[in-house]
Amino acid sequence: MKAWRDLPLHWRLSLMYVGLMALLLTALGFAFSWETERFLLETTTSRLRAQAKPVIARWTNALPTPLTQEGLAATAQHLAQDLTSKDTAALILDAQGQPLATGRRLPEEPPSPPPDPQAVARALQGENEVDLITTFNGQRTLVVLIPWRRAPGSAEILGVIQLSTSLAGLQKVLWHQRLWLILGGAAVLLLGALGSLWMTHAALQPLRQMASTCQRIAQGDLSQRLNLPQQNDEIGQLAQAFDHMVAQLEASFAAQRRFVANAAHELRTPLTAIQGSLEVLLRGAQDDPAAAARLTQSMYREVTRLTRLSEQLLDLTRVETTTALHKQPVALDAFFQEFLPQAQLLAHNRTVRLEPGPAITVEADADALKEILFNLVDNAVQHTAEGGHITLGWQATDNQVHLWVADDGEGIAPEDLPHIFEPFYRGDTSRSRRWGGTGLGLALVKTLVEAHGGQVVVSSQPGQGARFTVILPR
Amino acid sequence: MTEAPHARILIIEDEPSITEFLRTGLTYEGYHVVIAPDGLTGYQALQRGDFDLLILDIMLPDMDGFTLCQKVRQEGNDIPILMLTARRGITDRVTGLDLGADDYVTKPFSFAELLARIRALLRRRGKQPETTVLRAGDDLVLNTETHEVTLNGHPVHLTPTEFDLLELFMRHPRRVFTRETLLNRIWGYDYVGGTNVVDVHVSHLREKIGDKPPRRIRTIYGIGYAFYPQGEEEPAT
Repeated sequence: MKAWRDLPLHWRLSLMYVGLMALLLTALGFAFSWETERFLLETTTSRLRAQAKPVIARWTNALPTPLTQEGLAATAQHLAQDLTSKDTAALILDAQGQPLATGRRLPEEPPSPPPDPQAVARALQGENEVDLITTFNGQRTLVVLIPWRRAPGSAEILGVIQLSTSLAGLQKVLWHQRLWLILGGAAVLLLGALGSLWMTHAALQPLRQMASTCQRIAQGDLSQRLNLPQQNDEIGQLAQAFDHMVAQLEASFAAQRRFVANAAHELRTPLTAIQGSLEVLLRGAQDDPAAAARLTQSMYREVTRLTRLSEQLLDLTRVETTTALHKQPVALDAFFQEFLPQAQLLAHNRTVRLEPGPAITVEADADALKEILFNLVDNAVQHTAEGGHITLGWQATDNQVHLWVADDGEGIAPEDLPHIFEPFYRGDTSRSRRWGGTGLGLALVKTLVEAHGGQVVVSSQPGQGARFTVILPR
Repeated sequence: MTEAPHARILIIEDEPSITEFLRTGLTYEGYHVVIAPDGLTGYQALQRGDFDLLILDIMLPDMDGFTLCQKVRQEGNDIPILMLTARRGITDRVTGLDLGADDYVTKPFSFAELLARIRALLRRRGKQPETTVLRAGDDLVLNTETHEVTLNGHPVHLTPTEFDLLELFMRHPRRVFTRETLLNRIWGYDYVGGTNVVDVHVSHLREKIGDKPPRRIRTIYGIGYAFYPQGEEEPAT
């Protein structure tokens, strides 16, 4: 069984196919051969009876009246001789089943097989069609028994006429036919086996290709594809799904690598600033209080940025790896009243105004919601000059809640709009860095909102501010 | 001798926290520093000003450093260019050097290394403000290449630490160094120990160069030391 399972699939399929075909061909061959034999025997029997019928009628009419034992024997002798031919032997038995006459006169005429008493008895009782096959002189022989009646349809039975013919010729025809059947069947099987091997091999070729491609991919080359010619069967669909999957994997690995590279790059800038500032301080700038204060403040900003960056990196991976949101009904008016002071603290000389919407609750994780709004406000602050205005509020429709944060700052360039939610994307590097942005805030917003089953959209005109809307299902 | 003329350095870099320490550190080392926060400003400053060295960040908000570097070189300007790169890829460095940059440092870098590279670039272009032979008055001569010090033509044998100390003093005449700064610069940032090791070495050095009152190496009370080349000047109050 193990050896069977170890065979390649196309071998197993072909073997099963050939086995079934052999079984079917054998059954058909037997049925055909048996049917042919039956037909030939019936034809032979009918021929014997048809040929005998007029001869018997003629000699029965010629029987002397009154019928004597001698007269019967003489007529029987004539009758037997007339019925006998080169391939047919005739033997006439009397009413007691004893031989009365035989038609064999010439040596080339066949001898009659000894009568079978049971069959003869059945014929003597009036059974018209008694046929049997015996083996005589090593040959299969057909024996036909005809009751010899005094007149056609008469119940008076004078004896039994036994006609016999050798089946050697018929047998020979049958053997020829069987030989052809066997040879033809074998040829068909061979062709079928080759064809099925070739077809299954060809049909399974994509699977082997998939296996070797999988191995190359496992070795780390995600650029590998099957690239099978378009075909719409099961394997074609599998191959397409496979290629699609690998493309997705490649893209997501590339995104991951980019993310890590970006994160490392983002870490490098504050680290450079801190290391350089420390070194400059140690080399003597510490002796100048003004320079020391500037450098210390700069380092403090960079350390804050590093802290925020590491927190956001952790948050991002936490949201991405788990779905640990504790959703509960959040009353929006209370939530925003609580959040407003934090937003104002964040805003540094920018006006923060709340435009309350209807008093409704939304199913959300309160901490996540706070993080979302915090980052949106933080982003608005980064892109709004001092003295600018930041507005936040909410609106509701039948099945959605819209939370929004709008500013009247510098806005977002159209070419940047599609990318601003990507981690570490910065439209204008200098501006956001100057305010200490980490490049992860909006990515975190997007991830958190999507974890709530919602989406975040942005509309902006350069120079006229931006408006971020978080759409949550109700 | 008088202090060498200040080399003028243009820094094109958009990170305020990085330009902050570069400005402070390089100014302290005696360079004249101009900062440009983006490529265009930097390019315009370069056209107007007479600079001896350009420090160029690769990632700028309006253009990348490679483009700017190529542009400067195509215009026939052979100012020494030192690239700042955050990427560690070999291709980046090769690209930078191929486009005409003279050297590069990878962020995060050591400020001392940056200084060394700046000095090397300025020296190579003959714009070295540092001379290899430093003189104080008519009698004291220090050669940084041969590591020799002579007083009135007679060799003075100094330990390496004493030599570094004297070189620092002679390069920055009249500058007041605190003991902490001297410790950091001569003994290294990670030196663990009291500042009296500075006093010990200064007193040895004074002895060896025959420094008698009014001293060349003066004790600034409560602060540290300063070097007066002629010795007879009155200390600044």
